[in-house]
Amino acid sequence: MATIEVQRQLLPILNSPNQGARFYNPELPSSEPFVPGHRTCAGCGPSIQYRMTSKAAGDNTILVGPTGCMYVANSSYLCTPYNVPWAHTQIGSAGSFTAGVAAAYEAMIRKGKWKGAYPNIICEAGDGSASDIGLASISGALYRNHDCLIICYDNEQYANTGIQASSRTPYGGMTTFSPPGPLVPEGKKLYPKDLARMMAAGHPHCYVATASVGYPIDLMNKVRKGLNHKGAAYLMVYTPCQKGFVYETPRSIDLGRLVVECGLYPIWEWHPEKRAFDYSFRPQNMRPVPEYLKLQGRFGHLHAEHIANLQKFANEQWRMMGVELPEALIQAADAKNLINMASAAEAAAVAETV
Amino acid sequence: MTTVAERKKKTVRMNGCVASAQAAKYADVDVIAAYPIRPYTATMMALAQMVANGELDAEYIVADSEHSQLSIAHGASSSGARVFTGSSGVGVQFAYELYSPISGSRMPVQMMIADRTLDPPGDFGSEHTDALSTRDMGWLMGWSCDAQEAFDNHLMGYRIGEDRRVLLPQMVCQDGFFVSHITSDVELPDPGQVNEFLPPYKHPYPLDPRHPVSHGPQIMPEQGPPLQLERARAMEESMAVIEEVHDEFAKIFGRRYDPWVEEFMTDDADVVFFLQGAHAVTARFAIQHMRDRGLKVGLVRLRTIRPYPTDRVKEVLSKFKVVGVIETNMGLGSVSSGGVLYAEACAALYESAQRPLVFSFMAGMGGEAIVLKEFYWMTEKMMEVQRRGKIEKRTHWVGFEE
Repeated sequence: MATIEVQRQLLPILNSPNQGARFYNPELPSSEPFVPGHRTCAGCGPSIQYRMTSKAAGDNTILVGPTGCMYVANSSYLCTPYNVPWAHTQIGSAGSFTAGVAAAYEAMIRKGKWKGAYPNIICEAGDGSASDIGLASISGALYRNHDCLIICYDNEQYANTGIQASSRTPYGGMTTFSPPGPLVPEGKKLYPKDLARMMAAGHPHCYVATASVGYPIDLMNKVRKGLNHKGAAYLMVYTPCQKGFVYETPRSIDLGRLVVECGLYPIWEWHPEKRAFDYSFRPQNMRPVPEYLKLQGRFGHLHAEHIANLQKFANEQWRMMGVELPEALIQAADAKNLINMASAAEAAAVAETV
Repeated sequence: MTTVAERKKKTVRMNGCVASAQAAKYADVDVIAAYPIRPYTATMMALAQMVANGELDAEYIVADSEHSQLSIAHGASSSGARVFTGSSGVGVQFAYELYSPISGSRMPVQMMIADRTLDPPGDFGSEHTDALSTRDMGWLMGWSCDAQEAFDNHLMGYRIGEDRRVLLPQMVCQDGFFVSHITSDVELPDPGQVNEFLPPYKHPYPLDPRHPVSHGPQIMPEQGPPLQLERARAMEESMAVIEEVHDEFAKIFGRRYDPWVEEFMTDDADVVFFLQGAHAVTARFAIQHMRDRGLKVGLVRLRTIRPYPTDRVKEVLSKFKVVGVIETNMGLGSVSSGGVLYAEACAALYESAQRPLVFSFMAGMGGEAIVLKEFYWMTEKMMEVQRRGKIEKRTHWVGFEE
């Protein structure tokens, strides 16, 4: 059988000393695969992420959208915001549908049925899809190493359905499925599934990384590294949700920084060639977790002991990154040194607004 | 004198599973999504070997579940690839979510089904409930009764489903074991015949970066019905294409099938069996046997259940006095408290001026063969109904009654 060699794209890595730079970057392509006109909320973290990642990918791209906010709020019939091909798939089909697209292009190019460079194939799965119902399908796609990038836009909850807890919802996070009450003062009792690490550990041949909308250049470079990697790549991106987190809409990018500076969202890369984690990313500052928590209504009900638990969790993350902990953060993990976020009545009032 | 095409044809003995795999190979499929479950697995085993041997250039994907199989098939078909997948029993149901999205996005995915009884309790034998439970999801659906017919139905399925007037997925069904694992002679065509019959797959709106399209966006309630109507019309309008393709198939391959029903010894029959699939083979033998003893019994085998040939079934079944539906499927609490085929037969006959008496048999359940004495027993029941002119019971569980 005569076969045609599949040509792949190679996207340049952006050189910027400041990975969190928010200013105009002339190296970025002017094309906009994701355009305005969709129905996402003001300040929507996932849609900010969507614009950055699709811009980094460029026009020879196919997007796959399992059910979630980036399907429902984005894609209205006859008025979708995608300038590249996009397809909806079921919430549990994130990895499998994407694998089908990738396999189709491998076969069609090889058999001469489609001519051109292999497209960037990107799946935009919410954390509900990625950590719960679509986990097996994504693991399957990573395991089989289809040439594609699977992004988990992590807003730490099922937001589209009206703020329900997912496996990524943090400890203490209030959702409509994890409300605080006299018997459950902290709301969510479980800690988030360590999803990206699970993907790296289980699929070591894949490029795996975490990122945050607070660091756009870093995010876009990771998208390009994932796409340049021949085979499957997985990227988990912190994307705050103002509706579910209950914060002022202009603070999305700030939260994207604070979550990293507070040690609650470690930013790292897994290099498949070296079979090693790269923990060299360092935020400009290190802060205690209340700096992050206090901006969000979803944590408004937490007591000192719960905040201390979150600080302990953050401190473990810093240690995992190889960072020596300053005394202040060790102190902050002791409930004696903390105060409650709000009274129960105030927390209940916030809960009413969700 | 033989033509070149005839010289390259060859007859090989194979089972239904391998015949399906051969059909996928002749159709030059691009993407195959596999997941093991008995009895259809043998099809995917055969395809895996063909890919490993370099006989077929396709992406062979071992999926992580049937849900993923169908999602892979959906994604690949949406991108412009010809896709083959399949399943059996509870596997068919594990993928249930995808059936409507695939037909709704008008992707002509092809799925081979070798029927298997649903759980409980883990019976390998054939009942048609697995595929029949998806019958209203917008897939073209019909049963083959032997390996040759399975091979032919796969090729015809692609041709019909990929037709721009249709663009619908197809379930090409065969009974587990009776077809899937029993060998018989299959005539494999010359590749030139297949090229003539089956043009390359070309979806009008694939996911192609040069012509961006959005598949499956959210709709407002008022935008739904027009799309549903289009899908319903595609199903309805596929009927003309199905007839056309069967004619074309007969011309190129020399085997002619009635697309809707096969009639066997019905010319002067008073009572007939109405069934789908492999039990037709034993039914033909039994009917021959009973005819030798003067019983005026015949067989009507439904070949396509979706789209349902209502007028044709009405016209054919109206010729008889009694119709005994052999279900081979479970319809718990259904119209007849038996299977689901009874209601399909009765609904078609409702508008008939000459309605036969219709009742049903739960036979061949659990993958049991329907044996000669059971055909005699059922025929006796039908003749009793004919004598009395009325039905005593809508459903008989064969083997559980005197």
